[in-house]
Amino acid sequence: MKPPRAVPWLFLSPFLVLFAAFYVAPVLYAGYLSLFIKKRAGFGPAKEVFGGLTNYVRAFQDSEFLTSLLNILKFAAVQIPLMIVLATALALALDASRGRLQGFFRTAFYLPYTIPSVIAGLLWGYLYSRNLSPFNQITGRSFDFLGSDVVLWSIANIVTWTWTGYNMITLYAALQNIPSDLYEAARIDGADGWNLTRFIKLPLLKPSLLLVLIFSIIGTMQIFSEPFVIRPLGYVPDNITPNTYLYLVATRDGNFSYAATLAILLAVFTLLLSAVFLRFTRRGGEV
Amino acid sequence: MNKVLMTALTALLAGSALAADPAFPKAPSGKVTLEVWSWVPGLDKTVQAFEKAYPNIDVKVTNLGGGPQTYTKLLTTLKAGTGAPDVAQIEYGFLPAFVDTGGLTDLSTLGANNYKKYFVPWTWGQVSPDGKAVFAIPQDTGPFAMVYNDAALKKYGVAVPRTWAEYEKAAATVYTKSGGQVKLGNFYATFAPWFMALAWADGAQFFKRDGDRWVQTLNNPTAKKVLNYWYGMIKKGHVGTLNAFTSDYWNAVGAGKVLSNMEAAWGPGGYAGSLKNKTAGQWRAANLPQWTAGSTVRSGNWGGSSNVVTAQSKNKEAAMLFSLWLNLSQSAITNNWVNGGLFPASDAGLDLAVLKDKTKNPSKFFGGQDISAVYARASRGVNVNFQWAPWFPFANDNFNKQMDLMLKGRLTPDQALDAWQRETLAEAKKQGYDVR
Repeated sequence: MKPPRAVPWLFLSPFLVLFAAFYVAPVLYAGYLSLFIKKRAGFGPAKEVFGGLTNYVRAFQDSEFLTSLLNILKFAAVQIPLMIVLATALALALDASRGRLQGFFRTAFYLPYTIPSVIAGLLWGYLYSRNLSPFNQITGRSFDFLGSDVVLWSIANIVTWTWTGYNMITLYAALQNIPSDLYEAARIDGADGWNLTRFIKLPLLKPSLLLVLIFSIIGTMQIFSEPFVIRPLGYVPDNITPNTYLYLVATRDGNFSYAATLAILLAVFTLLLSAVFLRFTRRGGEV
Repeated sequence: MNKVLMTALTALLAGSALAADPAFPKAPSGKVTLEVWSWVPGLDKTVQAFEKAYPNIDVKVTNLGGGPQTYTKLLTTLKAGTGAPDVAQIEYGFLPAFVDTGGLTDLSTLGANNYKKYFVPWTWGQVSPDGKAVFAIPQDTGPFAMVYNDAALKKYGVAVPRTWAEYEKAAATVYTKSGGQVKLGNFYATFAPWFMALAWADGAQFFKRDGDRWVQTLNNPTAKKVLNYWYGMIKKGHVGTLNAFTSDYWNAVGAGKVLSNMEAAWGPGGYAGSLKNKTAGQWRAANLPQWTAGSTVRSGNWGGSSNVVTAQSKNKEAAMLFSLWLNLSQSAITNNWVNGGLFPASDAGLDLAVLKDKTKNPSKFFGGQDISAVYARASRGVNVNFQWAPWFPFANDNFNKQMDLMLKGRLTPDQALDAWQRETLAEAKKQGYDVR
């Protein structure tokens, strides 16, 4: 007997309701908000009037916003490859190891991910403070990890610390799924050690690596908590990441419409970046 | 019958306890619940006394931690048109930004101007910029004075500086005698209001209303004088640039590496609380150093806050009554000082006995000195006409950017202030203000 057509929709409905309420509706509302600008006459509260694409035009001329995008691109270009290489190396090492220690290291590497990013920011904020930092005390220097020139990379360090273990678990799981007959066949062909990694493990890891990369790109574009927690400790530029900038535009300057505009542009930018990346990597062969 | 008697008795008791208080407006009848957002520690205890005096009013206090967190939440609820509290605490500098949202009640419509006479004049100027509309009731203030480690100053053979020229000399002496290890003072490079208070003390104006327009002069001559003065000492290493309220700062002060600072009246409580036993009893407060030696002390103000009644409040009369009571009744002012270190904005509050209690912090931390006398003098020396602009939150953050560039040597102090003026003016114009 064929089930009535409504059944799949019934099962889907909880998801669809939540998706509509918490994803589609806010996005539509943000889009609507972004079309308004503030108008003032003399003193008193501003009026919100329809401004068409004024906010979008402003965003493309807003050097603070463009700098924030540039910042995050720089950040991604350095931090993501570093983190993925680290995570891959750790996953391969775990995969190659045996016994009780394996479980210990798996947990140990994963542990930073279980710490909320706000707490991680506070923790590292202390480790970075100029006079109290153990790094400075051991080396006898007075390096300012929170100086505005290096703070982006100090944040990159926090992010790497947090996410390497998480990505490692994903990659490790993929390695565990490689059928053992492939290894046997390779060994019969005389492959061992590095060759096994080079010709069996890494190629089979590629889909998972791509997944991890895409998630990292999306995650990086959204970085907010770490710089935000570190802000009170020193001077962290308003526009160190696009998210901190648009947050301040909304909550400090009270310009919710312009913040909505920036949020939409950031989403489009992230989407484009992911799409370009996928396109670029797929050209090399099948995934 | 019993209940009526009890109520009458409580009212009578409360009445006698508040004998010296001004006559507050009549409480509205019927059951009222007020929601209050504040960051004052121990406010819930203060509120109990209020609920006793006004049994039909329930007060729910939410402490959001103060600063940006509170403002973000308040701004969002005002924008949303729902969810705002009846009463909220806002610092003077940020008040115009909230006035601008249209989300605050003009308390003059409820008779707030009758209470103007009870407050230190400059504080009323902060909540009633045009002398008519009243957007908040002043709560606490942050007049500026100098706190210093007396024992350490004696150790370096330095007298307490009374002028900025003396301060500069003392800073050099401390630096030399300590082999560059110890600094007399510290420049808070990420707190614009700290710097502005120093310039305020010398008569600087940063924002001014001009009819229907605004005038902004962040790079005014006084500001340039003050910044150049500090930059000179920073460059020589005679004063430090640690960030305010960080563990780094408290660590350096506790270790005797920073010997003095210009602090608002709410600051000493922070020293007592953060340093605990380290250097306790060694500290003193003195007048802010002056540009010209003389008998009148001029001072500026850093921080301090007020209580607003939101437009969303359904019980505006009760909300204003609470705000007045919280800042004018002796019992509340006493509690606010003892539990929260709030230096009163009311005239009578400045003479309150508890402010002079030498056995309790912060006076205890300050070797039993009556530091409130120093701060009361400072409060009366604050320029009345100082104004803030609605776009101050932006200026506040932009200051940090310019100071960072200055400390890196990429901008001179004059250039930094010019850039601060230029970038903030551009932003204010983008926000739609008629400003020059």
